[in-house]
Amino acid sequence: MRLLTHNMLSSNIKGVTNGFPLKIQVEKVVEKQVEINHDFLRNIFPKIDWKAFSDASRIMGYDEMPEEPPEPSVLELNVEFLGKFHHALLELHLEEGALLCPETGRKFPVNKGIPNMLLLEDKV
Amino acid sequence: MIFKSLRAGRYVHQFWSKSTLFLDCICGLGYSVISSSMKEIKVKDASPMCTLAPDTEPRIQSSSSVSEDRKCSSISVKSTPEIEKKYVHHVYDAIAPHFSSTRFAKWPKVAAFLESLPTGSLILDAGCGNGKYLGLNSSCYFIGCDISPSLIKICADRGHEVLVADAVNLPYRTNFGDAAISIAVLHHLSTENRRKKAIEELVRVVKKGGLVLITVWAVEQEDKSLLTKWTPLTERYLEEWIGPGSPRVRGPSSFTLESIPETEENGLGGHPKDSRVSLTENMQQSSRSTPQNEDDSMVSRDGKSQQEYFVPWHLPYHRAEVSGASAGALANGLAKKDDKKGAVVYNRYYHVFGEGELERLVSGMDNAVIVDKFYDKSNWCIILEKTLEG
Repeated sequence: MRLLTHNMLSSNIKGVTNGFPLKIQVEKVVEKQVEINHDFLRNIFPKIDWKAFSDASRIMGYDEMPEEPPEPSVLELNVEFLGKFHHALLELHLEEGALLCPETGRKFPVNKGIPNMLLLEDKV
Repeated sequence: MIFKSLRAGRYVHQFWSKSTLFLDCICGLGYSVISSSMKEIKVKDASPMCTLAPDTEPRIQSSSSVSEDRKCSSISVKSTPEIEKKYVHHVYDAIAPHFSSTRFAKWPKVAAFLESLPTGSLILDAGCGNGKYLGLNSSCYFIGCDISPSLIKICADRGHEVLVADAVNLPYRTNFGDAAISIAVLHHLSTENRRKKAIEELVRVVKKGGLVLITVWAVEQEDKSLLTKWTPLTERYLEEWIGPGSPRVRGPSSFTLESIPETEENGLGGHPKDSRVSLTENMQQSSRSTPQNEDDSMVSRDGKSQQEYFVPWHLPYHRAEVSGASAGALANGLAKKDDKKGAVVYNRYYHVFGEGELERLVSGMDNAVIVDKFYDKSNWCIILEKTLEG
């Protein structure tokens, strides 16, 4: 699971009013290189919840994302930042661990990089 | 907005004029995404292509929505009915590798839609199966989900970003995606409320202005002989399984289907039908052509179209042997052996869609409009555009 996905996921348990962001429990992080896609980064940047993203990147062991959201212009002006943003968003993977609902604490396992977000019948 | 709609529509039409060329390229793109090695990957995956096996083998028509609504009122729409667990989820889990091996051809209309999306889009595939559409537009980013862990594992092994989730209850933030697709998924949902909810979820998770492509099997099958290979589910049967008093657990002994018809449809022996010819024929028709419908055989005695079916899946013994799930399925009556075919036969639940049914499902939605609708290769398809946030 990439941090992009983490930034999109939200607990959908019945009765939960704010299921975002899910807390990350890390057992194993892996890195997989992918080619940078500037259009995608520019497109996704405004949608990223920055606090959730920078917190998640630190939990995953990567400290290069600032706590405060950068100005969008940084994507055009700062190639170095763009590369780091790309790395944190798309190249860091939670390989083993779990995601926790911020309200109920319900644990969604992440095994072999795959989050399982299914709920039990009484939780839908 | 208008521009976008036109763009999506136009693309579909343009597609046909260059489809021969397109066929030659699309089948090879199986893998992910922004990745650097698209070229290598194409080569790697290029061999089995060019049979555009009907990705979908559609079929049937609409039924009793009012009584259905009433039936379901006491149960959460997000709660999975037993019939879907046993005759959709469990089946796909058991047949995943074999199913996946027969599902490599990309449906041109879906490919055309994906290719028409702006560079850099985030595309969400809800019910992605073996992930054959993930990564189909290499300038975009895909995230897929499916309720079958076995199918999702196949996607992950191919390098796709995926998760296990229910299309009726997507665990996604609202307005996050740029586009969404639901390909041959909604016909596996057993109540109208659930089919409607799944569409609402697709719309919810895309941004304002985002497009949603939905395809479902049609009642109006081009190959009418397929219908004879399916098992129509009777009113009484549905009442038992989907109705308010439906047994949540039920022994296999009390449940006997009359017959499991013979079929060659799912590529027993691993030879998906080469449908190039039929595809060419289709291309000569308008993409919006409406099929001649109402074959008599689809209409039951009371005049209602038959829309609920079990569609068989033949899992060859040599594959079944390596799958522990099949032994269990045989033991508890969910699958049976067909020695003549040398296969374990599973039944998959389908609600096939009638003409206009998709439109009817979205007619009450106030945050999306239909920007395109068409019938193609025995599927009904619509493209929605989200018009309001939320």
